[in-house]
Amino acid sequence: MKRLLLVLVLVLMLGVVSLPALAQDAPTGTWLGTWPYAAPGTHNLNSFAAGGLNDNLGLVYRPFVELTPAYYLWATQEYVPILAESWGFVDDNAAYEYTIAEGALWSDGSPVTSQDVVDTFDIGRILGWTQWTYLTSVEAVDDRTVRFNFTEGGASLNAQRQLLKEHVVASANYGELAAQAREVAASGATNEDEAWTTVATAIEEFRPETLIASGPYTYALDAVGESFFTLSWQPNSLFSSTVRFGELKIWAGETEVTTPLVLSGELAHSTNVYPPATMQSFVDAGIRVVATPRGYGPALLFNFTVAPFDNVLVRQAMAHAINREQSALLTNGLGASGTVYMSGILDSIAPTLLSQETLDTLNRYEYNLEGAAALMEQAGYSLNGDGKWADADGNTINVEYTFPADFADFSAAARDATAQLNEFGFDITERALPWQEAAAAIRAGDFQLSVWSWGSGSPFAFQNFNNPMRRWTVALAEDQPGLQLDIEALDVGGETVDLNALILNVSGGLDTAAQQERADQIASILNSGMYYIPLNEMLSIEPVNEASIGGAPADGDPIYQNPSNDHFIIYLILNGTLFPAGM
Amino acid sequence: MTAVPAPPALPVSNTDADVNATPSWRQGLRRITRSYLFKVLLSGIITILAVTTLTFFMIRQMPGNPVEIRMDELMTRQGLTEEEARRAAATLFNFDPDRPLLLQYTDFLSDLVRGDLGDSITRGGVSVVSIILRYLPWTLFCVGLALLISFTLGILLGLAMGYWRGSWFDNLLTAFASIISGIPDYIIALLIIIIFGVQLQWFQVGAVRGGVDPTITPAFSAEYLLSILQYATLPILVYVLSTIGTWILAMKSSTISTLGEDYIAVAKARGLSEWRVLTGYIGRNAMLPLVTRLAISVGFIVGGTVIIEEMFQYPGLGRNLFIAISGRDYTTMQGMFLVITAMVVLSNILADLAIGWLDPRVRMGTEDNAQ
Repeated sequence: MKRLLLVLVLVLMLGVVSLPALAQDAPTGTWLGTWPYAAPGTHNLNSFAAGGLNDNLGLVYRPFVELTPAYYLWATQEYVPILAESWGFVDDNAAYEYTIAEGALWSDGSPVTSQDVVDTFDIGRILGWTQWTYLTSVEAVDDRTVRFNFTEGGASLNAQRQLLKEHVVASANYGELAAQAREVAASGATNEDEAWTTVATAIEEFRPETLIASGPYTYALDAVGESFFTLSWQPNSLFSSTVRFGELKIWAGETEVTTPLVLSGELAHSTNVYPPATMQSFVDAGIRVVATPRGYGPALLFNFTVAPFDNVLVRQAMAHAINREQSALLTNGLGASGTVYMSGILDSIAPTLLSQETLDTLNRYEYNLEGAAALMEQAGYSLNGDGKWADADGNTINVEYTFPADFADFSAAARDATAQLNEFGFDITERALPWQEAAAAIRAGDFQLSVWSWGSGSPFAFQNFNNPMRRWTVALAEDQPGLQLDIEALDVGGETVDLNALILNVSGGLDTAAQQERADQIASILNSGMYYIPLNEMLSIEPVNEASIGGAPADGDPIYQNPSNDHFIIYLILNGTLFPAGM
Repeated sequence: MTAVPAPPALPVSNTDADVNATPSWRQGLRRITRSYLFKVLLSGIITILAVTTLTFFMIRQMPGNPVEIRMDELMTRQGLTEEEARRAAATLFNFDPDRPLLLQYTDFLSDLVRGDLGDSITRGGVSVVSIILRYLPWTLFCVGLALLISFTLGILLGLAMGYWRGSWFDNLLTAFASIISGIPDYIIALLIIIIFGVQLQWFQVGAVRGGVDPTITPAFSAEYLLSILQYATLPILVYVLSTIGTWILAMKSSTISTLGEDYIAVAKARGLSEWRVLTGYIGRNAMLPLVTRLAISVGFIVGGTVIIEEMFQYPGLGRNLFIAISGRDYTTMQGMFLVITAMVVLSNILADLAIGWLDPRVRMGTEDNAQ
């Protein structure tokens, strides 16, 4: 009996010892994704440099290597823990704190500590990170808790998001540089000083030999090929036991290069923007596609020094004269929808950021050619013998519409708007440019009509209103006129309004009711002034090949409300929802 | 009246030496400066300098600069605002867009004299020379081999078609060459990938991307070399298919015009064998106009074939040139354009020499002129 008991105890002990080891066995199966990473030779493992982790892994894959404190679920508007186990504003909102989860380790086996976070942000200060516009200091409260001290009034929900989305890097690699950064900052130097730029250069030129990962995957430079590189599972992460892919194979290239790979089944998921016809070929090949918000859409932009676009009645008439549902269909097939609220905030989140009262009162600029014609007549235009709108002097609206030829979605939106407006009686000529030139033309104010994005993949009103209203005006360099619209002294119904200040302030503080009130005001201004025409809101239609990936939630699952900035695969791979097909 | 001082007396031996040496030194210099090779080399250097200067200023006139392009990418890919993107881009790149252009140019020239092409603007800490040295061999191998195959096949087929013009062989290949030369290289690449890779599954699409199997350790081994050849096969095939049509048609046309020459009739009348007439008389003379064209093509090998390299993710210079242009990486663009220009100039010099070798009349003409 004693012998049997001894054997049982031994078996139990063995079980206790071996269970964690079994749980840490490397999962099998390969995730097949894509990202346009830097080629060998320029590819490096620096988390802050060009050609480093940010470029090579992007928003979608970097969280698998360097964890962020939390992940935002758009459907429920809440954060779920990743690297941190708790977080919140403290000291009457004078600071923010988060605590790193117990047991969080780096791939070298050392614990993730608050010093890693402090070092991350001290380096970020030298690099001019936005967070330092509202932070005064970052300090370690204890081994796992880190405190972010705000400037006066610096606390905001936007700040919370930026702190919880920032990847933490390992002090083992960056501690020395962080110490230099702290020293320079403490000396009172500014980014104009040589000492500051010397450290910035040292950070940029630093080339870590190994990647120390807090996420469940890591890689070395010899895993980087010309056409793909592979992230391999590592056992020490908080998520090493939950992820179910043994490796993540990342193919290089953009849309045209990855299309055959999707069709041949060698690429299972992609965030590339595929034309509608290509998407249809994926569906025809039996490949599932899922739709998530892309966080932007194409907008028709005006140069306000070009007549008659300085006339609000003409802009409103144009908004009525464009069938936005048609625009959406031609822009991105079923992966887009015509803008409804015309509020400056994406329709998908407008109901959460604006009051119902405001939403109800906004002019939706429904497709109405008669109404558009009435507005044109009110603006002093009449149709001439050729069916073109002409002013009292007989001048038709003969302008150019420049668009980026290499962006299939934006060029389709621009060409459709041109066709619809010409049908209505305008005389617009299309001008296709390489995207770099199209962007430069807007910056330089060297355009008449153009197309670029509006909205943002952010849950806050500021980023939504910012693009394009501030982006192409006050946010440009001094010598760049952009839209040539003075948004700091905007005439709104005879009253001068500083729209720039309103937008900058809209998401400030923690009072969501006050934020909504301010957002309502801006939405009304943009809606009545029609300073740009938000043609449609785009979805990201992404192939998810179920011959390769198992566990993808059904269409309509709340996780698909997350836009690309908080991509759904981050959450679903980390928590083990997605797994290799056939498991 | 002022007395004119007598010139100082020079040692006799020195004077004698100068008198004897000067004519031969001058003659030597004159001979060099009047030589064909010197003129060609001087003209080549001036051309390279002129093109480099022109390129330097032209690429900076392109709309957008590296910082702005990077900002646009950051805003699109990471959802940053313009201000956030500007802050991030400014620290990432060692580039001051406000530095006067002339100062940038003098910096460039002084570095160039020292053989330094500078660092890439968008790939921090990576020298342009290292980028060129890393990718040039791949392009030279892939496009060079493809050009050699395309030219050789094109010349042989065009010669045969011209000689046996009107035959079924001629008609068939003329149709083929006309059609294939009208199809852009990226369409051929796509068709091959989609039809043979995706639909017929003769090969795995992903397995033909890159320059070599990344799992094989680089070494001078048969396995590694075979892998390089295997990965280059499709890019070479696409290049050959997209260029061979023009070689075939040009050679056929040249052959037909050569057939009418008197010396061909004389050669035949002398009873020379058909093979001898075809290769020694027709082929050799018909090829002459194509040599200049080949020289230009050889020069442009370095530019690679941008789209083919991109489609197959081939690690060549062309793909990198595309990346550099897209990102407005001025220093990398300058370096690559300099290499392309030098190659074009050099290959044209070689073409001149080759024509002289192929056509003795050219050599004789040159010698006559020199006399």
